[in-house]
Amino acid sequence: MKLAMLLCCTLAFSNAAPEQQLTVYSAQLTYSLPVLDRDGKTYISVTDLLSPLGATPPHVKGKEWRVQLNNSEIRLTEGREKAVLHNGPLDLGGKVLVEDNRLLMPAVAAAPVLNALLKTSVDFHQPSRRIFIGNTVTRFAASFKDGGRPSLTLNFSQPVKPNFSHDEAQGVLWTRTDRTMLVFEKDPLVADTNKQEFGNGPIQSLAFTEENGTASLTITGNARLDIVRSEDGKTIVLQPAAPAAMVSPANTPPGGAASEAQKRAQEFFVMIDPSHGGYDKGASFGGKLLEKEITLKLGRVLKKELDEREIPSRMLRDSDVDIPLDRRAEITNEQHAGLYIALHAGRPGRDVRVYAPLVSNPQPLVAGRFVPWESAQTAFQERSRLAALTIANELEKQGISVARLGVSLRPLNNVASPGVIVELSPEGDDVQSLESPKRQTGVAAAIASAVAQFRSQPGARQ
Amino acid sequence: MIPRHFQITIGLVLLAILASGLVILRLTHQEEAKTLQAAETGSVSPVVMGKQERINLLLAYDEDKALRWRPAELFLPSERGLRAKEMLRAVLAQYVQNPSPHPLSQGADIRDVYFIGKDTLIVDTTAQFADGHPSGILLEEMTLASLIETVSVNVPGIAKVKFLVEGKERETLAGHADLMSFYQTAAVHEMAGEFE
Repeated sequence: MKLAMLLCCTLAFSNAAPEQQLTVYSAQLTYSLPVLDRDGKTYISVTDLLSPLGATPPHVKGKEWRVQLNNSEIRLTEGREKAVLHNGPLDLGGKVLVEDNRLLMPAVAAAPVLNALLKTSVDFHQPSRRIFIGNTVTRFAASFKDGGRPSLTLNFSQPVKPNFSHDEAQGVLWTRTDRTMLVFEKDPLVADTNKQEFGNGPIQSLAFTEENGTASLTITGNARLDIVRSEDGKTIVLQPAAPAAMVSPANTPPGGAASEAQKRAQEFFVMIDPSHGGYDKGASFGGKLLEKEITLKLGRVLKKELDEREIPSRMLRDSDVDIPLDRRAEITNEQHAGLYIALHAGRPGRDVRVYAPLVSNPQPLVAGRFVPWESAQTAFQERSRLAALTIANELEKQGISVARLGVSLRPLNNVASPGVIVELSPEGDDVQSLESPKRQTGVAAAIASAVAQFRSQPGARQ
Repeated sequence: MIPRHFQITIGLVLLAILASGLVILRLTHQEEAKTLQAAETGSVSPVVMGKQERINLLLAYDEDKALRWRPAELFLPSERGLRAKEMLRAVLAQYVQNPSPHPLSQGADIRDVYFIGKDTLIVDTTAQFADGHPSGILLEEMTLASLIETVSVNVPGIAKVKFLVEGKERETLAGHADLMSFYQTAAVHEMAGEFE
């Protein structure tokens, strides 16, 4: 009987709803405070909210409470719905309460109060009760790599420390179920997209959720996942635990996963990088035509031309997304591209410019040593120049005016494979020519013909 | 009948007016001649004390997609950092004028220049230099090449150059040219050679 009661208590405890809280993220610290329900409204303690940010203890005079922070003062009076600040009254969205010598105010007032006192932008995700002071946010990009052993790489703009449902040994973490949850209690993680789908394999989807002052990433699939966190805390890689458990038999391709992975690694393919994207618009032509749109269109045309010549290719972006420069090089290097082609558009006009990399500070390669990121291109410069020359010659053959130059530019210098940049320029003052299908097809066809020649030369992976 | 002393006074006043007019006319001609001479030689007015010297600036010409050396008369101090700053300012002064061979927005200027060690030059530019710079690989690379090559040729011993914007690092100049790296002057010399 006692055992049954103990079991019931344990179950009741373990199933108890987590304490309701609000989390504040600032550049200096992250802290959470409890929220209270009063007549259907959510309340918080003013001291709990402001003290961690350096506010003075409240000065109480009758029903009026005064708190100072950042050389500003807020005055709150019990029973009133407005606070008084240096710049006038502030509607709190409910009455000020005093309970057990604690001053409570509606949680909805937290953001305007912080904004007025700190004189900086404050972003309040109300449903999830998360407050971001200033530009304190951490963003992430997810990169899914299919193949023999699929992987999901999460790159964060700041180091993160999520909690896993895991066991830990020697820095390698793993999950026990087909559902992996990374809970970010202290990290100001935000997402541009709430859900991404990756198919029916071991890693099927990634979902971002935020509630009760925390953010979570949930990865679903049909296998147990290994989780490896980088030393700097900015990268987390999730992979199926072992090749045997990676892919269900129904999905296993003929010849086995390992041979498929090997085949893919050896396959020559062109990584097409339509430069810019998202917030990074690149150059603007006449105020309406943007470089990011021109490069994406040209990238798609180039892919089509390569497909017609049975040359495998992959688009580094195929939508209007912003991918950081370093990430573009990382993706290209992870997938072992046979040739990297970055597409740009710019003035001055008339010709197409083909740039080969000029590594500013080439480092001698030493077997077994890491290659410096800034000069990862060093070993491939000669082949890059050959690719640039082949493309320039082919453009000339097509009657397209071309200039061949050297340039020290990221991410090209960080790419560990032959690489070139092709910059399309308008025909004279006619900026519309940049997206003319005829011009784009002509340039793309010449590049594709040149790639076919480049691939057939000794040294290129077949 | 006008008194004699009154006639003499009027005569002297007229003579003084005539003399003043001649002096003003001569000064005006001198100023015009100076302005014309300055425009022809690309002379830049002195900002700091220094000796007037004739040096070559490597300037970008968008029309021809080329970099060309042009002589200029500059007042250059003896200290290396200040000399470098004046040279860089002279290059940008050519770009912000109207008409310009390589138009940059007004306010594009050098805030400060200093050395780290003997061979690394840090160039701190104004926000307008980067914010108002036209976007494009060629345009951005020509700007940096003309600045780096001008300073490295005229101030001996500079091996690396790094650009800041308002005292801070910036990823790119206007979406393309890398501002995070330290530019090796030898590599830039090679690159600039392709434009000349």
